[in-house]
Amino acid sequence: MTRGECLKMLAPLMTDHLVVTSQSGQRIEWSHFSEHDGNLLLGQMGCALGVGAGLSLALPHRKVVVLESDGSVLLSLFNLPTLARLNPADLAVYVFDNGVYSGSRISEPTATGGRANLEALAKAAGIRNAMTIRSARAFKKDGVAWLNKKGLRFVVCKVEESLLHREIPRPTIDLAENKYKFVRYLERTEGKPITFVGRG
Amino acid sequence: MEAELAKRLVAGLSDAGVNFVSYLPETRLSQILPLMRSDSSFQLAPVSSEQEAVTIAAGATLGGKQAACYIESTGIYVSCYSLVTVGKQLGVPLLLVVGFLGGFQDQRNSFLYSTIGAYARPVLEALAIPHAVIENGDGLETKIKNAVRAANALRGPSALLFAGDFSL
Repeated sequence: MTRGECLKMLAPLMTDHLVVTSQSGQRIEWSHFSEHDGNLLLGQMGCALGVGAGLSLALPHRKVVVLESDGSVLLSLFNLPTLARLNPADLAVYVFDNGVYSGSRISEPTATGGRANLEALAKAAGIRNAMTIRSARAFKKDGVAWLNKKGLRFVVCKVEESLLHREIPRPTIDLAENKYKFVRYLERTEGKPITFVGRG
Repeated sequence: MEAELAKRLVAGLSDAGVNFVSYLPETRLSQILPLMRSDSSFQLAPVSSEQEAVTIAAGATLGGKQAACYIESTGIYVSCYSLVTVGKQLGVPLLLVVGFLGGFQDQRNSFLYSTIGAYARPVLEALAIPHAVIENGDGLETKIKNAVRAANALRGPSALLFAGDFSL
């Protein structure tokens, strides 16, 4: 199973979802498969879980999806007990765990390439709805089904390292443009102005 | 901090439009927490690290909240990465409500705090985060409104560092 296979299955299912991705492979691939206005493509690792949680807390009626990597989650493991404690109303987290820092270009292993188990860490942190998926068939059945469940869900997808994100076009939209596109989408769909945008 | 000052601080945040506060509690300003908890205009998000106080507050801001992070000044060091990536690079307004330990004005200052407090303002300056040290209640409400307005205008963090009477 590759990350790209999973993202291809998720992309057509987006309706009014808000999708936050961390850097890097999932950001590039998701922007290739999905041009949804509710996409927020963050430029760094270790921030998407927090931003997604904040969005979900601010907008508990919205479906928020976070697309993460093992390296990014490991960078901010303190997010896991905090997420469990905050218990957002509708937050689906997909962690594409290839066991390596693919961005290193030498496939340097992450801790999950060794003995660390993200599902076990999530459960130990108090996230009850956590599971690991190891095949595209299982993702099609269970991974997709968890997209539209309620509550906090944490889906670890054990994927093989793929270099697709180096072969496809990288997004040309910069962080500020993406932020405003996202915020304007929220203003349209929520029917109210986003506070900080303010008057010019 | 006198109870009246804590009340004014919380009321000032509310008057400035702040309605979401992520926090990691500390010593000097902790009296504001029960006050905010009993005020339904605030949505509170307890966190485990100041780094995620910033990312969670940023998400809330993007979702339409006027967000603040209540942290100790050592949390500025912890959250530098998030302040740069989400606060500055992405450009998301946040108010940092900081218990400022270790400065001249810290009434609890000791060898435990003086060194680790010394870098808070230089770090904020290095990150180009506008900030002010507040020592007493003079013009408190206006100063909070000014800081929130500055954060929104800059599309980035601003910080209020509370010391002096707030550190008693």
